Amino acid sequence: MTESDAVLLLALFLIPLGTAALLMLVPSRERSLIVGLTAASSLAMFVISLYVFVAYDFNGAQFQGVDAWNYMHNVGLLGEEGIQLKVGIDGIAAAMVLLTGIVILPGTWVSWKIQNRMKDFFILLYILTAGVFGTFVMLDMFMWFLLYETALLPMYLLIAVWGSTRKEYGAMKLMMMLLAGSILIFTAIFALYAEAGLGTFDMVDLYAFDYDEDFQKIYFPMVAVGCGILAAMFPFHSWSPDGHASAPTAVSMLHAGVLMKLGAFGIIRLGFQMMPEGGEFWAPALILVGITAALYGAISALRQDDLKLMTGFSSISHMGYVMLGLGTMNVIGWTGAVLQMFAHGIMTALFFLLIGAMYDQSHNRDIPNFSGMAKQMPIWTVFFVIAGLASLGLPGMSGFVAEVHIFIGTFRAYPVVGGLAVLTAAITATYLLRMFSQVFFGEFNPRWSELKEITYAERAGAAVLAGTILLLGLWPSPWVDRIATTIETTIPGVHL
Amino acid sequence: MIPLENFLILSAILFATGLYGVLARRSAILILMSVELMLAAVSINFIAFASYLDGDAFSGLIFALFVITVAAAEVGLALGIVLRLFRERQTAYVDSADSMKW
Amino acid sequence: MEQVWILPAIPFATFLVLGLFNRFIPRRGDGLAVLGMAAVVVLVGVVLADFQNFFVDGIFTPGGEHAYAEEWVDIGQGFFLIEFSTYVDSVTMVMLPVVSFVALMVLVYSIGYMKGEQRYGWYFAALSLFVSAMLLLVISGNLLQLYLAWEGVGLASYLLIGFYWERQAAAEAAKKAFITTRIGDVGLLIGIILLWRVTGSFDIQEIIHAAQEGVFDQTYLTVAMIFLFAGAAGKSAQFPFHVWLPDAMEGPTPVSALIHAATMVVAGVYLVARMLPVYDEVLIARDVVLYTGLLTALMAATMGLVATDIKRVLAFSTVSQLGFMFVALGVGALTAAMFHLFTHAFFKSLLFLGSGSVIHATDEQEVQELGGLRKKMPVTTITFTIGSLALAGLPFLAGFWSKDEILHDLQKHGPMWAYVVLAATAALTAIYTTRVVLLTFFGKPKNQQAYDRAHESPPIMTVPLMILAALAIVAGFVTYTGVGEALGFVGGIGEVVYLPAEGAHRFELDWAFAAGASATAVAGVVIGVAYWWGDAKRAAAARNWAPELHQLFARRYYIDELYQAVINNVVMGASRVVAWFDKKVVNETGVDGATQFIGFLGYRLKFLQTGRIPNYALGMALGVAALAVVAIGTT
Repeated sequence: MTESDAVLLLALFLIPLGTAALLMLVPSRERSLIVGLTAASSLAMFVISLYVFVAYDFNGAQFQGVDAWNYMHNVGLLGEEGIQLKVGIDGIAAAMVLLTGIVILPGTWVSWKIQNRMKDFFILLYILTAGVFGTFVMLDMFMWFLLYETALLPMYLLIAVWGSTRKEYGAMKLMMMLLAGSILIFTAIFALYAEAGLGTFDMVDLYAFDYDEDFQKIYFPMVAVGCGILAAMFPFHSWSPDGHASAPTAVSMLHAGVLMKLGAFGIIRLGFQMMPEGGEFWAPALILVGITAALYGAISALRQDDLKLMTGFSSISHMGYVMLGLGTMNVIGWTGAVLQMFAHGIMTALFFLLIGAMYDQSHNRDIPNFSGMAKQMPIWTVFFVIAGLASLGLPGMSGFVAEVHIFIGTFRAYPVVGGLAVLTAAITATYLLRMFSQVFFGEFNPRWSELKEITYAERAGAAVLAGTILLLGLWPSPWVDRIATTIETTIPGVHL
Repeated sequence: MIPLENFLILSAILFATGLYGVLARRSAILILMSVELMLAAVSINFIAFASYLDGDAFSGLIFALFVITVAAAEVGLALGIVLRLFRERQTAYVDSADSMKW
Repeated sequence: MEQVWILPAIPFATFLVLGLFNRFIPRRGDGLAVLGMAAVVVLVGVVLADFQNFFVDGIFTPGGEHAYAEEWVDIGQGFFLIEFSTYVDSVTMVMLPVVSFVALMVLVYSIGYMKGEQRYGWYFAALSLFVSAMLLLVISGNLLQLYLAWEGVGLASYLLIGFYWERQAAAEAAKKAFITTRIGDVGLLIGIILLWRVTGSFDIQEIIHAAQEGVFDQTYLTVAMIFLFAGAAGKSAQFPFHVWLPDAMEGPTPVSALIHAATMVVAGVYLVARMLPVYDEVLIARDVVLYTGLLTALMAATMGLVATDIKRVLAFSTVSQLGFMFVALGVGALTAAMFHLFTHAFFKSLLFLGSGSVIHATDEQEVQELGGLRKKMPVTTITFTIGSLALAGLPFLAGFWSKDEILHDLQKHGPMWAYVVLAATAALTAIYTTRVVLLTFFGKPKNQQAYDRAHESPPIMTVPLMILAALAIVAGFVTYTGVGEALGFVGGIGEVVYLPAEGAHRFELDWAFAAGASATAVAGVVIGVAYWWGDAKRAAAARNWAPELHQLFARRYYIDELYQAVINNVVMGASRVVAWFDKKVVNETGVDGATQFIGFLGYRLKFLQTGRIPNYALGMALGVAALAVVAIGTT
């Protein structure tokens, strides 16, 4: 990937932003125009993110496609570089960009059936997307945070207006907790800036700077907790089940699929890459938090009767695996963590898509109310089974590839925890299969005889996601190559 | 020469008296009088320092002039407000204006 | 030999085509599935011929069997390498013909059995998926690929057990099977990772060499191999994981024949057999295998004695026979174990298909509703009886040779009491199998409607029965050198399939021992006949004589109840605790509590706004004073 490709990286967040701006000019009643605009935009984003991922040369420099535009410099405490719009990606970011590109496609398609204020929904959704893409490609801390907040703030409106089931409570809780995290990140960013004394927010320069060890030991947890709240790190996970349950379908897909990974990405970028010794010091805590979250999420999911709550706790469990992988401080575990970020993102997007598809028709998400659904909605069942099997880590699907790396990495570092992690996979199988046998199989509940099969847009979206799951599961080398080489060469403290 | 400390002590006593008046008096006029007292005390302080310490520069004296000007303007404004208050509440007591509370 | 990966590829292609397009293919693609399977059988023959070239002076010389390896994941240039690799040796060569041939028989049979069923095309697709995964499993050269195929086999089993998913019982049985084997698989994965930790490789041959060179610490290796065995025990329904197999009979009978008799359940045996050189290094682990197999064999035989559903009897019988195979492995007798696997596959699948024939004709599975069917279903009766006698171990039938070999090896290498127990189990086997035959085919019909419905099955179902019956008679003779040579091998099975520690051995009949074993088998049959002939008065009397014992066996030693109690109390209890914790502590106290606290603070602090000017003046004065103190203090 060359310098000129930096424009593409810039385009990644300018396109959704531009689309949102354009949409503001479009009258609400022109539904077909809105559909057309968003279709083109989402397709463009997908194509660019695919290109970015493929073009990333894992044998090349660490950060590729780097370019900077000045924003504010030589003012006050800011030095020559000051605050710039600096873009560039490494292997991990490339995978995340691809994830977002893949998820936004079905996310857009399924949102076309929203009746109430569809235009406003898309404006907010695309602002969110712009923020997400931007956070993945930014190499300037200030701008990184700016775009991070851009990704966070529309969540409130999206959930509070278009949501369901206690949406005001869910929206408020989510926002308050995420903003509390943002405060911590904000403080840490300015501390990092001040401590370095270089007068710049440029991440590449700051990576090179050697922070004092005590400083790192204080500020790493601040970053980890701040970003961790977004990543549903135990014990700050409680916004997640309520938030996901009340959010509309596309928002859940993007949120659980991509935004939560933003948190983990923040821990990597701002935490481990900036403060490696701090990260090493706190790694055992991450392991503890990770395994607790994994077990906690899985066991809680056993109890849930609402499909979305079950999926929410499942997400907490899988993000626990990510924390676990990050805490192992070895390349295999980290590769697994990033792979899990990708794999889980796709998987959970598929889950929420399917649940939303059914909820839109039945306005009911309670597991005990359903049975024998395979008879009425077979295609929906097949996709759901694929998602479920991926979630429990069946080999041949993305979940297994990620989990096997995490398990092996954890075993290398802490064998007992590794054993617990493998056990969690068995518990995951339990709650998923319990749901299957309850909802899909058995005697058909005639209450749902009016339900129709999922729409073509939903089928297409599900096919895109399921296809990615199988692709990653059967052919992981493109992802592993990019991710593993980045980790090996650039994250200090993480060794083979 | 009278020692500097005498002026400073005088200024302190006057300031304290004025402060007490502001905090403890109920009548608005009396509070304004106490504020004037505080301003006068501060002026004495500045002039004393200007004459004893500043030598050729007389920034303290300029300060005192400013204080007097500001005091005059402020009292004019404040008395206007007190008159308004009196017309509303039929009393000049300051604790009658307490409706902007929790 | 390098292209042996084509073997699983063909049925996988069939699965894809049938799974997606079966509605558009004539006859929903059953012919395609059979054709694919037949192609696989032919190719297995080709591999066999190729394999025979690897015998130099009667010794199997490995070379080129590891020819295919394709990189899948590579971190650190070989530090962490997962590849797709194949490995073919004599153990594989036993599995390949068994899997492909029995699968072919079952597929042909299914055309008749599943005729007119809903989702007919999907049935063949799922079966093809299963065969593909199983073939992949047996040719795997590394443990992670084996694990992948292992789970794939489990998935196919889930889909097939739950084939009649409109029935809640079937869905539950499928779930139970998957979860029970999953728990075993936790052990398997832990074992694989533990082995990787020391050797840095997943490759089976490399691990075996490492173990033999003493790279591992003894305790560590023992623990790892026991974990590995947990996975094998799960898949092969050994105690304490045996609970899923009887319930798995909810699936269609041909599925039971293929998966739960001949192929999937022997995956565990295959795994232990494959890793047997490593088990030889840690005899404690090997003893675990031995005693688990022994216990399971006995327990399952007792449970089969009182079961009333034909398929359940056969299921318990399978569990018991698998126990026999593990006993053989437990004393390091690879030949005996693989031989029994080989013969068992044929006669057990024959028995299942035969029972399927009965079920298809009468719509009844309970022996209490059957009886006297021999007049109406002669072919089924004869083939079923042959299979039963082979299972019982009657002399010169297939089961006799393999079971004899196991008992012989146990007597030579194992403790005497184990031998006695296993011999008793063999006798029990003969008894319960005779019981089933008598209750189903002989005597007077107990349910007239069932009897009236009975008719002989169409040729498409009976021809596989006859072929398998023929094999049940002659398959045992491969133990003889002459027979082996006639088939193109260097000798009998003992000279082809053996552990290097065992050495190649010619088969020599130990007449005394054989006589003893035959006597046990015949005695068992006689007892069975004595008790259950006619109207089974003696059996009823025996039941009344020890009703609690009968209950114990019939209720499967109450193990299912025990597991359910554990699940309800431990697992669901844990989830109740966690859910309570999440709701009360984290949510209500933590999050909602924090917000309420802030609200409370706000409520308290608002009283500062008294609206009274003197208060504000005081506030200002205090603030200035504080600032002054700070300012003067810091200068």
